[in-house]
Amino acid sequence: MDTFFLSLAVIVCGGVLPLVMHRHFTIMKAGCCVLIAAGCMLGLFDALSLLLHPAVAATYTLPWLHIFTLSFQMDSISAFFLVPIFLISPLAVLYSFHYMEKPEQSFRTAINYFFNAILIVSMALVACADNIPTFALAWEIMSISSYFLVVYDYQNKDTRQAGYLYFIFAQGGAMFLFAAFALIYSYTGSFAFTGFAAIPDTVKLVVFVLAFIGFGSKAGIFPLHIWLPYAHPAAPSHISAVMSGVMIKMGIYGIIRIYALLAVPSMIFGQIVLIVGMVTGVLGVVYALGNQDVKKLLAYSSVENIGIILIGLGVGMIGVATGTDAMAFFGFAGAFMHVFNHSIFKSLLFMGAGAVLHKAKTRSIDQLGGLLKRMPVTGRTFLIGSLAISGLPPFSGFIGEFLIYYASFQGIHLQRTAFILSALAIISLAVIGGLATACFTKVVGLAFLGEPRTDKAAHASEVGFSMQLTMIFLAAACLLIGVLPEPFVRLAFKGIADLPLLGSYNPDIFIDILRNIAKTAALFIALFLVVSLFRKLLYWRKEVSAGPTWGCGFTRPTVRMQYTGTSYAASMIDFYRPFVPVKTLYSGIRKIFPGQTTYHTEVIDVAETNMHEKIVRPLFKLLQMLHWIQHGHIQLYIGYIVLTIVVMLLFL
Amino acid sequence: MESIVSFCFAILAAPLLSAIIMKVKAYIAGRKGPPILIKYYTLAKLFKKGSVYSTSSSFVFKLGPVVSFCSVVMVLLFFPFAGIKPLLSFHGDVIILLYLMGLGRFFTIIAALDTASPFEGMGAAREAYFSTLAEATLFVILLLFYRLNGSFSFAAFFTGTTAINLWSPAASLLLLVIVALFVVLLTENSRVPVDDPATHLELTMIHEVMILDHSGPDLALIELGAYLKLFFYSAFITCLLYPFQLDNVYLNGLIFYGIMGMIYVLVGITESIMARYKMNLVPKFILTSFALVFFATILTMEFVK
Repeated sequence: MDTFFLSLAVIVCGGVLPLVMHRHFTIMKAGCCVLIAAGCMLGLFDALSLLLHPAVAATYTLPWLHIFTLSFQMDSISAFFLVPIFLISPLAVLYSFHYMEKPEQSFRTAINYFFNAILIVSMALVACADNIPTFALAWEIMSISSYFLVVYDYQNKDTRQAGYLYFIFAQGGAMFLFAAFALIYSYTGSFAFTGFAAIPDTVKLVVFVLAFIGFGSKAGIFPLHIWLPYAHPAAPSHISAVMSGVMIKMGIYGIIRIYALLAVPSMIFGQIVLIVGMVTGVLGVVYALGNQDVKKLLAYSSVENIGIILIGLGVGMIGVATGTDAMAFFGFAGAFMHVFNHSIFKSLLFMGAGAVLHKAKTRSIDQLGGLLKRMPVTGRTFLIGSLAISGLPPFSGFIGEFLIYYASFQGIHLQRTAFILSALAIISLAVIGGLATACFTKVVGLAFLGEPRTDKAAHASEVGFSMQLTMIFLAAACLLIGVLPEPFVRLAFKGIADLPLLGSYNPDIFIDILRNIAKTAALFIALFLVVSLFRKLLYWRKEVSAGPTWGCGFTRPTVRMQYTGTSYAASMIDFYRPFVPVKTLYSGIRKIFPGQTTYHTEVIDVAETNMHEKIVRPLFKLLQMLHWIQHGHIQLYIGYIVLTIVVMLLFL
Repeated sequence: MESIVSFCFAILAAPLLSAIIMKVKAYIAGRKGPPILIKYYTLAKLFKKGSVYSTSSSFVFKLGPVVSFCSVVMVLLFFPFAGIKPLLSFHGDVIILLYLMGLGRFFTIIAALDTASPFEGMGAAREAYFSTLAEATLFVILLLFYRLNGSFSFAAFFTGTTAINLWSPAASLLLLVIVALFVVLLTENSRVPVDDPATHLELTMIHEVMILDHSGPDLALIELGAYLKLFFYSAFITCLLYPFQLDNVYLNGLIFYGIMGMIYVLVGITESIMARYKMNLVPKFILTSFALVFFATILTMEFVK
């Protein structure tokens, strides 16, 4: 664990450095990048070496405040989740080198770097925490540091609101977690994680549901995902990349950890996780399709991918419950693999969206267009990221989804509930895959291809070097994992090694399949090259000319006539109407010579409206009745405190 | 060796079979129709030409035809025509093949959007929409087959002793699958009643409108890809219909391609006697196929123990 703590210390130094050096803007950024990158590389090395050469899980404890002990342990699950943390975070910091380019906001940037470093450290600590106080402490630091990162642009009212919403969800979720922990504590009387398995089964179910809600609000399960589409657009793009690529995975980590600790092979856990996963996945992608704000769309797409990961976990848990070893093994491995893949392509896409926002100054797809020619690197890497996130071979997303498919197909031979659930898992994966293709063809096709719809998009230019470099690196990773999946899948297999209940399963048959998939991917690329060459030959010495797009006889087309994101998605959204209502405001055309008219349409998030109607408003009414307690007299407030202390002293 | 010949034959025969549909339609309409080799003439003509590219388009536009063509060829490499072992096959190939076809679709769609034409955007949106529904049907068919004979590749579905066909114990379920597959065939290959390539109004078309701006060899690749795709789907149905495995390879092939020809004739008849559905009816039409196969899958809960 020494290397691990050393790496964290270096990262913290990287975070503190900008605070003291904020007068030298460029040096500050460079120094911070170097230190954080160095720290992360060290941590990555440590995590990988533990994964590749499994030893006894490393542990470390120290007393804290005389009451608690802080205890850390790094087993294979922790080590696997540390990989994306230490891989994506330094890239995001590197990206920010050219993204944060306002020297007049030097101190604010320095604070951003500071909290960024704290976020990285706290995520790493969450992954390694080994008792209740340690976990709670790291979890809270993570939530709070990310809150400060979200409200970077605090002068903007929307940003403050988004930050507030995120804060409520983070703390509300934490409340559920603490309830779960308190319930466990009341049975075991100890803070150690090891005692979790000893509590009665019925209590375990309650604990799991509470923890699932708590972790789910961080991960963004439906209907607790509401903060994501607000917080991600509000935060700077490299922060969205880390939050969406890595931080929400800590929620997934929590779910896996609590499942591993409770160690109960009950069907009900799998059913809950799988059904929530399917709903989250399908609705997430439909909402993504309905949104025209690139970053909001990506946020919903994160919700979708959390759904896919949960489907993998749920299938794995059902496999455990029914004793189908292969199903359990590949379900968990698929979820782990998708966690890793998603951290790569989602951060790539957020960085691409950030580059677009940086240069075209708008996030709305309906105002973009033609960016591929103006931003060649951003456009090409974004295309690769989109292919990967749609789960298409030969890119990384396919590998994780294939594992989950494979696991679900293992459940097809089961009876009754398990069979129906496996079948539904396969169908929802197929539907999610199709809709994700639709969603990302929309982003690529409308924002990056065609003609620019506004002047802002027409005058965009390529972004700075550090931003290009990170995006190229991540895009290359997407292709590499797709073409040579074996080492990465083996890494996921290593990651699940310390999960209890899995039984010993020998994945050799699957490795063969994986090699075949790699060969198929390579064959496809070879075929593609051959056909491209053939095409070149066909065009050899032929007349190739340029002309306007065929307008079906219409001779005066304008760029405003292009299909928009709204129209592209309209019929698909319509199909899911009860779950995805659309609000349309149209002033109409009335007179013979109509004046200016307006048309506004927006997809309503049912979770948001329902939560507002059914929970927030009644709560407000109730609290309104207690309004008289808050009167502003400081003396009486002190009186409250005294009263509370007296009551506690007398009765407790 | 047999496999290579079979694969090459499939690629060469696909345009011929596609011409059958035109012939049948012409016959029913009381016309003489084009020569049976018309599709080869079209391809040769297109290959000889140069191209005009829209000034709006980028490299993606040129990538579209190549990727979509390659994805279909990949599928054919894995498919056992007339019971002959395919060139390649492994446990799990069906999923990567379906996803490769998804990749082809992805590129067709973004190539269409690359032209900045509102018509092509419209076609692209419809293609994306309908294919998500058709894909769900295909995956249910896969899981049904997996439940029936525990295999996960085209070769294992249709060859060997546990081959899935109308003479196996679960034949009654397969009737539903065949109907559903025919619906998927019509959808994915943009035939009537889902799409009508013959109309002259671009607004009413789906696939054909997406390729309006392609010309010359690019268009030829798209056309050839479309013939191969139709060929794949009808071979899929034929495999379910054709129960025998004779020892004589030639006779086997003859019967196999005979049945395939019948399916093409059926497509032609469907096109002649039906009109295109209104766009809002198409999803219901595709969902019917989904409902059929899902019902078949539920039935296996009692059938297959």
